[in-house]
Amino acid sequence: MKIVVTVKLVPDTNADKRIDPGTKRLVRTGVETVLNPFDEYAIEAALQLKEKTGDSTVTVVAMAPEAGKEVVRKALAMGADDAVMLSDSGCEGSDVYGTAYALAAAIKKNGFDLVICGTQSTDATTGEAPGALAEFLGVPGLTYVRKFEVDGTNLKAERETDDGFLRVTAQLPLLVSVTKSINEPRYPSLKGIMGAKKKTIAMLTLADLALDRPIGTDGAKTELVALAEPPVRGKGRVVQASDGADGARIIVEFLREKKLV
Amino acid sequence: MRDVIVYIEHSGEKPRRVSLELASKAKEFAAALGGKAHAVVLGAGADAIAEILKAYPLDTIHVASDPDVDAFLVDPQVDYLEAVAKIAGPALVLVPNTMLGRDVGSRLAARLGAGLTSDITDLSIEGGSVGCVSPKLGGLTITTCRFKADYGVAAIRPNTFKAQQQPGSAQIVTLEKPAGKSYAMRVEDAVVEAAGELGVEEASIVVSGGRGVGGPEPFKTILKDLADALGGAVGASRAAVDAGWVSHGHQVGQTGKTISPQLYIAVGISGAIQHKVGMRTSGTIVAINKDGTVPIGDFADLVVVGDLFQIVPELTKAIRANAVAHT
Repeated sequence: MKIVVTVKLVPDTNADKRIDPGTKRLVRTGVETVLNPFDEYAIEAALQLKEKTGDSTVTVVAMAPEAGKEVVRKALAMGADDAVMLSDSGCEGSDVYGTAYALAAAIKKNGFDLVICGTQSTDATTGEAPGALAEFLGVPGLTYVRKFEVDGTNLKAERETDDGFLRVTAQLPLLVSVTKSINEPRYPSLKGIMGAKKKTIAMLTLADLALDRPIGTDGAKTELVALAEPPVRGKGRVVQASDGADGARIIVEFLREKKLV
Repeated sequence: MRDVIVYIEHSGEKPRRVSLELASKAKEFAAALGGKAHAVVLGAGADAIAEILKAYPLDTIHVASDPDVDAFLVDPQVDYLEAVAKIAGPALVLVPNTMLGRDVGSRLAARLGAGLTSDITDLSIEGGSVGCVSPKLGGLTITTCRFKADYGVAAIRPNTFKAQQQPGSAQIVTLEKPAGKSYAMRVEDAVVEAAGELGVEEASIVVSGGRGVGGPEPFKTILKDLADALGGAVGASRAAVDAGWVSHGHQVGQTGKTISPQLYIAVGISGAIQHKVGMRTSGTIVAINKDGTVPIGDFADLVVVGDLFQIVPELTKAIRANAVAHT
């Protein structure tokens, strides 16, 4: 089975990030680029599936500048077999539409049986890439999966809902996106890290994909017209409660003032 | 784009509140664009829900009570919405920023070649152009995007607009089943694990617990009681979720949900950046913590310093007494 995992490179989630008021871009100094944490669950799900099914390969696909190669290598260190990176200045400024379109072309080039995505990225947080990608791949998109198993070309999954889950069956080829509940991503082992150095990261440009439409800024279906600073939340009141009833009284009074109760 | 199409997410018995919020605004947006307001209701119960929607200012309510919509995941809904979009012509499609709304919306946008925006916290129309406001990078910056295509799909965060009835003259129209489609993702059954619980995304009041609550029990007892008394939902910080005290669906923050309730009560939560980005757009923030110097104090409207195990139950009592006094 050919398993493909899409990954995105994002600014480190734990870093305290800020926007440069002049350039209106993220200040990257001191902010490391990491694998989107949600995608690590997708990688882990792919590796576990490969371990179960034996005769499978796990390929990681990313759209990112070449400088991100070492971040992509972490996925290989976790155990993926190889990677494909679409690196082209023409990708800059891509929105969800363009990103999904180009990734679909890169994935179709090598073929796939199952594409596994994380639920969302930590920077754009649209959660919309898996759905758009499935449409461009021409396969069903089974999202928010917390558990799945594959038997031949049949897939059985539990899809999270707001109040529980759905049991869903589907057939490969297919795209699934997995939630954080599905597994606990492994850390790369020393052996894995050493082995990853010898694994292939195939570099693609837009020319290799011969797309029938522009992507990047030119192909974007949306346009960023303004960036604003979020409204500043000032420091509020800090009040010491003498006991439980006093704390409750302080809060109720405050909520009354705000007309919230 | 001229017309506005609202995708109505519902339980089979009633529309989700966010759907009514969108239905309340559709006509206003359509008027600004010079077009009509449509709603699309699909699946079991669609006819009854269309009747409920008549109390909202819409022009056309498209209905299909097709069993395939419930038997198969997502795809039939996309086909119906595509059909309505083609009937309407270039349009703004509003979907709720929920799991299903984003799924249906993203797939529809890819198919229509539409612009796609998500987690929208405000939407305005100026000179025929739609501006979608959305916080990015965990609320670090507030972006405004415009569509550059004939169609635009916007996923709107719950609580962005007010649901307001305004009897219109909506016509109910039955949709024809799109021809030549086959579906592969079959829903075998639905399992309800948290019956009647309001999700943190939609609740207008959220009571969240963090490391300070010390274990799983308070999520089922004192926090839940307070949330129930307020008519709200129970949330959690990453620390509490990672410790296994409460399920991931409750998590508020960068790797959880980003929410804007009217009132957010943070109990035993220090307010690290990871958490802050998920709730900083809340209307009012109240923190209960044993330490008055925690980071949440920098942006909460009120921090009450004390023992949460004493304050929370007393607060629940006081809220209940207050509710009784006002009825």
